[in-house]
Amino acid sequence: MLGAEHTGKDRKERAVRIHVSHLKKNFGDLMVLKDISTDIYEGEVVVIIGPSGSGKSTFLRCLNKLEEVSGGAVLIDGEDITDRHADINKMRERIGMVFQHFNLFNNMDVLHNLMLAPVELGKQSKGEASRSAMEMLARVGLADKANAYPSQLSGGQKQRVAIARALCMKPDIMLFDEPTSALDPEMVGEVLQVMKQLAADGMTMVIVTHEMGFAREVSDRVMFMDGGYIVEEGTPQEVILNPKEPRTIDFLNKVL
Amino acid sequence: MALIVTRYGALLLRAMGQTLLLALLGLFFACILGMIFGLMSVLQNKVCNIIALIFVDVIRGVPMIVLAYFIYFGFPYLVNNILHGSITLTALQAGTVCLALNCGAYMAEIIRAGIQSVDKGQMEAARSLGLPYWKSMQKVVLPQAIRTMIPSIINQFIITLKDTSILSVIGFPELVNTAKNVVANTFMSFQTWGIVAVMYLIIILALSKSAKVLERRLNVGR
Repeated sequence: MLGAEHTGKDRKERAVRIHVSHLKKNFGDLMVLKDISTDIYEGEVVVIIGPSGSGKSTFLRCLNKLEEVSGGAVLIDGEDITDRHADINKMRERIGMVFQHFNLFNNMDVLHNLMLAPVELGKQSKGEASRSAMEMLARVGLADKANAYPSQLSGGQKQRVAIARALCMKPDIMLFDEPTSALDPEMVGEVLQVMKQLAADGMTMVIVTHEMGFAREVSDRVMFMDGGYIVEEGTPQEVILNPKEPRTIDFLNKVL
Repeated sequence: MALIVTRYGALLLRAMGQTLLLALLGLFFACILGMIFGLMSVLQNKVCNIIALIFVDVIRGVPMIVLAYFIYFGFPYLVNNILHGSITLTALQAGTVCLALNCGAYMAEIIRAGIQSVDKGQMEAARSLGLPYWKSMQKVVLPQAIRTMIPSIINQFIITLKDTSILSVIGFPELVNTAKNVVANTFMSFQTWGIVAVMYLIIILALSKSAKVLERRLNVGR
């Protein structure tokens, strides 16, 4: 992982991690993503905002091929994930994902949620996996919940476990799909705190969120999506504080 | 009553053993068929979906007694008289195939519904970690699906156990067939059918009670 010395300003000198060109996605007749092109750089924190139905989550899910793309290309470190011959499982090992509804495995306790992938994919022995899982739980402040089942946790705790579970695969890109949208208000802070720490550690992050305060504070770049396009993008100062596009202004007036 | 028990008790117990043997064989193969066709119907593959759909629809659309006659009499006739091959089926073989197909179709539906009842976020989370489809199915989705499937599976087991009585029509010496002979010899209908009913009841109660214990054990962490 890279250090926190990287800031948004020097991103042009950094490696492109995710290259998206002319991405299109439709569900039947419904065009959700019409033409999306962008580059996401090493260590960059990109926040995607936009009204519901604008395609933000679909865009995110195309980045690790949870959605089959309909057109265009998504390259992770130069490798096209839309290529039929690409080993998508191998590529997903490096791309962690956190979901709105946590999606913790209900049939196992917290510790085994974290250990499953590293053990099953032969990355670590059970002993190693259990040790690093405990370390990861300590990092998100939940070491005492190792033997709890997901049903026994609060929403905030579930989401921190979900983040820890993704980190156990040692990814260097993390995707967050509305990670705080299903949480009670008092639990949003604890999850954002963990994400801030990740950003400070230099993780490349793409985050779909409605938390404007978090976007302003943590992100290097904000993308505003509407109607299947990226309407406006730039630094948080540019997009959130001084939006230029009428649709961005309209949206921000509603949510701020 | 005493006469039936002393003179025909051993015979009826042996018939109960035959009923259980047939049911166990049928259920064993039904589970395999159900698993195969159940999984085929949830795969993202049109051909597999259609094959599973046809299997389930055809088997469910034919009464089991017709299926039994067809397998025991019709199938050998086709092979021997039309295709000029040579095949003989015992009543146990035909009965097992018949039960396995019939119960398998219903099991396939139970398994499909069980898998689809698991939130699809579970599969997505497993896949997003880099786990392959079958690994995710095996470690995450199926264990959760099985919990919801158990009551329906037990129900289907009970139905299949009772359906073995239909196979008396192809001459398999299970409980009903044997009881018919006992009644023909003794004319003691009330006593004989009463005993047979109690024997079925005991087997099925034992099955459903042990299923309840299993269900409780599997509910850890819910």
